[in-house]
Amino acid sequence: MTSLTHLQRLEAESIQIMREVVAETEKPVMLYSVGKDSAVMLHLARKAFAPAPPPFPLLHVDTRWKFRAMYEFRDRMAKETGMDLLVHINPEGIEKDINPFTHGSAIHTDVMKTEGLKQALNRHGFDAAFGGARRDEEKSRAKERVFSFRTAQHRWDPKSQRPELWKLYNTRKHKGESIRVFPLSNWTELDIWQYIYLQQIPIVPLYYAAERPVVERDGALIMVDDDRMPLEPGEVPMMRKVRFRTLGCYPLTGAIESEADTLPAIIQEMLLTKTSERQGRVIDHDSTASMEKKKQEGYF
Amino acid sequence: MAVRLRLDGHTVAEASRRSGLSAPTVSAAWKAFREGGWEAVSVKPRGRRKGSGDALGAAQRRALRERLAELPPAPLPAWNSRALAETLKGKPASPRAIEHWWAAQGLTVPCRDLHDLEKRRSSAGRWFRQRVRPVRDVVNKAGGECWQGGVRVVPAAGDRPRCYQLYLHGKRGALHMRCLPVAPVADDYLTLFERLLVQAEAPIALLFHGAWFQASPEVQEWLAEHLEFHLINVPPATPDD
Repeated sequence: MTSLTHLQRLEAESIQIMREVVAETEKPVMLYSVGKDSAVMLHLARKAFAPAPPPFPLLHVDTRWKFRAMYEFRDRMAKETGMDLLVHINPEGIEKDINPFTHGSAIHTDVMKTEGLKQALNRHGFDAAFGGARRDEEKSRAKERVFSFRTAQHRWDPKSQRPELWKLYNTRKHKGESIRVFPLSNWTELDIWQYIYLQQIPIVPLYYAAERPVVERDGALIMVDDDRMPLEPGEVPMMRKVRFRTLGCYPLTGAIESEADTLPAIIQEMLLTKTSERQGRVIDHDSTASMEKKKQEGYF
Repeated sequence: MAVRLRLDGHTVAEASRRSGLSAPTVSAAWKAFREGGWEAVSVKPRGRRKGSGDALGAAQRRALRERLAELPPAPLPAWNSRALAETLKGKPASPRAIEHWWAAQGLTVPCRDLHDLEKRRSSAGRWFRQRVRPVRDVVNKAGGECWQGGVRVVPAAGDRPRCYQLYLHGKRGALHMRCLPVAPVADDYLTLFERLLVQAEAPIALLFHGAWFQASPEVQEWLAEHLEFHLINVPPATPDD
């Protein structure tokens, strides 16, 4: 009997979770945030249901503030995979022109992401949503189960979670409940990079180091991705060789200075790093909007 | 290398010429090799590390760091080693000593070889031929000057904190610089540009790397008013460069 590598074991586990969800739920959807975890999740979904395309659509909860490269990549991937891509933007957010600069990261995240996600799930009636969260990202994600049950109001109760012993998942839902499913829960950031390298999975070029225009905000390097970014009087963005470990809304996502412009170089950098990729997310440092609080309120 | 050359049958004179070592050093290495093999041959960089000497005292080094953060006397666009040497009090310091101190502090920036770029069949070569050469020809024809420059973040070294270095390469690649504790703003750049114009009293072509001036209305406005100043942004490096 041949033994599987740790990546093959993780892959098999994720595929099993995806198939379990498709077998047990009525209307699943895959949340597609266009990042590297979404790229791996999409790749695994295609493997799980090959040769047919995955039997669920992709859902992108857009905030209008993602990097331009992410939008280009999203549309390209939807075309290449042949999957339905649903894009939802909170209409109230558009009406009130909610943005990270004038309203702050907490309100922006709450309205455009949390509320936007809840609206999209309700509108389409999805009862299960795949997400690319991993336990190593952030402490509240570490304690969340693979099958995370949400009330009809999409609230998460961290004190009421189901045991998942021996990878047996209880998928029975109460009326109105939905499930957020995290097939990559047990993966680490390094696993993700190694898998991307081995499987040659396409990712957004922002993950590779390149010279990009950035400004410093509270110690974070924020890329000036378009002319909506307000600059301080007299401020001139500097071109610095940076890359992103995580991708979100560009005004809320910090870059890191790096020379890693290839996958082996990124993996080498990962082997030496001692901080979580979420260090680069401004929203995670906002104490009034901690990840656990956001998750309880319905954040992905 | 000298011993290898000797092993290949070259004379001491030839080994000395090819390796750049003196004849007595080659002979000594050859003798050591014959007596004790490769382990007996001491291989170490020649001389002491640049800037590791004590040509500059602690007070002078502190003064240099402070000067570099300030604006140099007009019309100098930025500090060069000669101007810095003249400001130092106490034991006289040569411009060369200051250049060595720059090297030890990681402040030396190599000048881009434009002649080399001209021949390259890469995107950088194309950029040079399409964007730089026509402007350079116009400026040269008008008796102006071509400068290179940029801005970069220099990590902390020794007792020098991290800084933002504004640098220029003038005639024959002479290095000029300012080292600021915070990121330069439009005023810093515009002072630099204005002084370049005043000093040259002729059109200027400046190839600049590291700042995204397109996003600065102040700089764009100034450039629109000073048509004799030709600012060319050096594009980010590409893999074929």
